[in-house]
Amino acid sequence: MDGKELLGRTAIVTRATRGVGKAIAQALAQTGARVVLTARDAERGQAAAAEISAAGGGEAVFVAADQGSEDDWARIMATAQERMGGLDILVLNSGVSARVPTIDMSLETFRALNGVNLRGAFLGLKHGVEAMRRTGRGGSIAIVSSIVGKVGIAGYIHYAAAMSGLRMMAKAAALELGPEKIRVNTIHPGMIGGFPESLSEAIPLQRSGEADEVGKAALFLASDRSSFMTGAEIVIDGGWTIQ
Amino acid sequence: MTGSLSGRTIIVTGATRGIGRATTLAVAKAGARVIATGRNVADGEETARLVAAEGGAAQFVPQDVGSEGDWERVLEAATARRDFAGLVNNAGMFIVKPLAETSAADFDAIYQVNVEGCFLGIKHALRALSQARRPGSIVNVSSLMGLVGYPDATVYCATKGALTGMTRVAAIEGAALPQKVRVNSLHPGVIWTEMITGQFGDSQALADAFAADTPLRMIGRPEHMADAILYLLSDDSAYVTGTELVVDGGRGAD
Repeated sequence: MDGKELLGRTAIVTRATRGVGKAIAQALAQTGARVVLTARDAERGQAAAAEISAAGGGEAVFVAADQGSEDDWARIMATAQERMGGLDILVLNSGVSARVPTIDMSLETFRALNGVNLRGAFLGLKHGVEAMRRTGRGGSIAIVSSIVGKVGIAGYIHYAAAMSGLRMMAKAAALELGPEKIRVNTIHPGMIGGFPESLSEAIPLQRSGEADEVGKAALFLASDRSSFMTGAEIVIDGGWTIQ
Repeated sequence: MTGSLSGRTIIVTGATRGIGRATTLAVAKAGARVIATGRNVADGEETARLVAAEGGAAQFVPQDVGSEGDWERVLEAATARRDFAGLVNNAGMFIVKPLAETSAADFDAIYQVNVEGCFLGIKHALRALSQARRPGSIVNVSSLMGLVGYPDATVYCATKGALTGMTRVAAIEGAALPQKVRVNSLHPGVIWTEMITGQFGDSQALADAFAADTPLRMIGRPEHMADAILYLLSDDSAYVTGTELVVDGGRGAD
């Protein structure tokens, strides 16, 4: 595999300052992509961008942004255009959740969590597609959903709504954008990072996953190695949901 | 009698027309008392009148499903006789629009009805049904577009996918409540209602075109959906929960 297969491409990764998002930004930058990282925490964001830039590979810049704000999305796209020369790769990573039984969940909590997860991803998709159209090279959009987009877990009705919604949003967008050579796929991670071994017993691979394993999946979807994949799903859960 | 709902109160949202009206008629015919809800008072009263004309019992309660206060009023009406047994989360909005033309306001309007409205229905119905005398049933009317994509329907597919996901969580939680509650989703294909004709136009040629594009060579009718909903509400489906019932003439199979 060519170590710099994304050379000359520009990427945006959301919630990119830690965990899965940061690992995805690192994976894309290591293979040559120039990456715009976004999140709300400016201090952590600047540090993550500096760390990624210093590691070699593609340049990384940070834009502090709220995914629920259209103005912020416009600023992110302007940065990609002005600093990086366009947009080829968009990774929508969200993942705000809390365990609350349905009968106890307030509408305010439900709305606040989905505001980031589903509504924020819709706005990112809309603005990202516009930027890719202006760039005119097609593109690849990877949406990080969850296994909760495919199976139910008690206490996560808001998360199931967002993650199942993202899964279907991606398929509809893939149909609309196929003729423009913009591919849209989803990633469905299971337990990632720092879970106790006792929780891993239900997982055939007997462990939780690492953030960089999700990074590798995002890299695959961003690269031309997945050039015939659109509307598809990559499940990274150690086999948890196959039983 | 198989499929009987006698002695039970069932809520049907979006009962002012289409699948909701046909379901209200069918559920009342099966012996249930129906709390029929919707935003349009005249159409809702007409649904109740049609039920009464067939000898059934239906009470129209005006409701915006996005309003938690409205849900509280509806549940008050439904639990008055202590025989509340189920909810048909049917109210929904349909939109087909290219992504570039779909605004944040479009997203919010559809999301509020299709996702928040159904969430509130599930929440309040689970609460009430967990204290009921008999096991309850919630039917979420999703769509074939909650299982497969459709071009230019990004937001609609997202909201119906969200409802499909909420169904799975609610089924798991409902099974563990003091009184069991089954929760399933229904996935209609193209059903000839105002939701479809309002978006694509009302003509026989279009209905024929949809039928020609469907393996069973039929256009779906609201009554087909009502039959499926009746099955999921009744004890005929006592071992069915968390499932996705696709009623689409075979459209999703190819």
